[in-house]
Amino acid sequence: MPAPPAGTVELPRRPLDVFRWVFGAGAVVLILWSLLRIDIKWSRLWDAPSDLWTIGTLMFGRMESGDIGKLSGAMWESIAIAWLGTIIAAVFAIPLSFLAAENLVGRPVAWVTRQVFNILRAVPEVILALAFIPLFGLTPMAGVMAIGVGSIGTLGKLFYEIHEGIKTGPLEAADAVGASRLQRMRWGVIPQVTPEMTSFLLYRFEVNIRASAVLGLVGAGGIGSDISQALLFKDWGTAGLGLIIVVVGTIIVDTISGAVRRRIVSGRQSATTTTEPELAITGGVLG
Amino acid sequence: MTHLDTVVPDAPTLPRKPRPALFTIATIAAAIALTIVTARSVDFSFGEIIGNLSRKNSVVEGLLNPDWGQIWSRRSRSAFIETLQLAVLGTATGATLALPLALWTTTFGNPNRWIRTVVRSFNNVNRAIPDLLWASLFVASVGIGALSGLLALFFFSLAVTTKLTSDTLDGIDMGPIEAANAAGASLPKMLRTAVVPQILPAYASFVLYNFELNLRASAVLGLVGAGGIGLRIEFFRGRGDWEALWGLVFMFFIVVFVVERLSVTLRRRLV
Repeated sequence: MPAPPAGTVELPRRPLDVFRWVFGAGAVVLILWSLLRIDIKWSRLWDAPSDLWTIGTLMFGRMESGDIGKLSGAMWESIAIAWLGTIIAAVFAIPLSFLAAENLVGRPVAWVTRQVFNILRAVPEVILALAFIPLFGLTPMAGVMAIGVGSIGTLGKLFYEIHEGIKTGPLEAADAVGASRLQRMRWGVIPQVTPEMTSFLLYRFEVNIRASAVLGLVGAGGIGSDISQALLFKDWGTAGLGLIIVVVGTIIVDTISGAVRRRIVSGRQSATTTTEPELAITGGVLG
Repeated sequence: MTHLDTVVPDAPTLPRKPRPALFTIATIAAAIALTIVTARSVDFSFGEIIGNLSRKNSVVEGLLNPDWGQIWSRRSRSAFIETLQLAVLGTATGATLALPLALWTTTFGNPNRWIRTVVRSFNNVNRAIPDLLWASLFVASVGIGALSGLLALFFFSLAVTTKLTSDTLDGIDMGPIEAANAAGASLPKMLRTAVVPQILPAYASFVLYNFELNLRASAVLGLVGAGGIGLRIEFFRGRGDWEALWGLVFMFFIVVFVVERLSVTLRRRLV
């Protein structure tokens, strides 16, 4: 075997990764197909930035301070919808979540309960809102019901994952002193899971505020209704102010709720070292 | 020798039960107060809920006999294909741009502190705006149609993938970066050889996850006029044809389920 010429090193051949090539080719084909077949006039895209700029200047240039009171009231309504929806969801999710934890009940029961959660989780909240609007009218109650039903699945899933992570020591102790099933739950499980469950409940409340602001866009009450009305009637100033109030209101509630959550999880001492669940941007609409 | 049976142990004195913490009491009281106040402000009543749900209504009847024929309807199928295309293009554009944007938020990828702050603030604001709100804004400014949906999904994907990728970037191994810098690599070369290979599998999996989210999101975008299957849902809602509407929604679940299974399998393979 001839020695390689001085100065160069023969690099090993990169192995061919079939999976990567197939994956890449598939993605390219899918993108090209979408690009060519989608019903979009691409020439419109060139106008989009200037359209957006025009709307932006109209929205944030013509805000009237007289709207602040009305829009803050609507934001409060969104917060109220989110809170009540979260409470309703908790009332159903807490008992069901114990039935979904494999370490507390038998496997078949847990499996069935989980499927219920999965189905509820699959339905977007906006679709639920559409379904509740004919029943409750264009009222905040439609939003409360949509958030309530929509959060059962996600809360239930978060909760049973907490139950499955509990320490077995207290359960064994409860069994050893001859506790009944109910006493075993009361003293072996509940004290272990309560802080984390409360924290997740608050987290879900924060997600639901975003969701309830959005549900208004289809008519389920709250500030979203005001924004969508304003956009429809080209009342740009009100829409712009509404957007700002949504962002500010969300940040205020997040800050308060976040502080309470950290205090619950970490106790009185350090409020900085805990890992908190990252607030999913998608949580609202997509659960 | 002591007789065990004569020794009667004293009943152990139980420690006093600690009083519940002030914080706990305050939290519970606040929660109850908030529930009462919010219930007043939305006119909450159990009677109304029970009354409205038990009344005979077309929504629940439609749910109980959905029109499965929607699966074969040509117009529903083309609305579906549009949803799929929107999800693909939204992911391809938004998630691709998310990689440089995420790199620009890091200290090693962007030495300029001011640009870093600007990019980070942009990401934070973008993340605060939900997808449906983006869609409403674009429908108002650009007009009704798939283009508004695509733009909304673009910003939504940008937000999701940038966030997930920059979290991953926070935890990478700095060794390769130091090595590349020591060897005199330029910034793009350093990123290409020392950073991107470390996050590529995670990034690819985020892109797929983002695609799943987009598929679900693109279904509701149409409700505000931004194209896809939502327009069709809105159409059936306007006609009060709940059988067809639920049929369409179920069909959507099936597609989402299949795509998610595929995507989850691919993601496992990647990471």
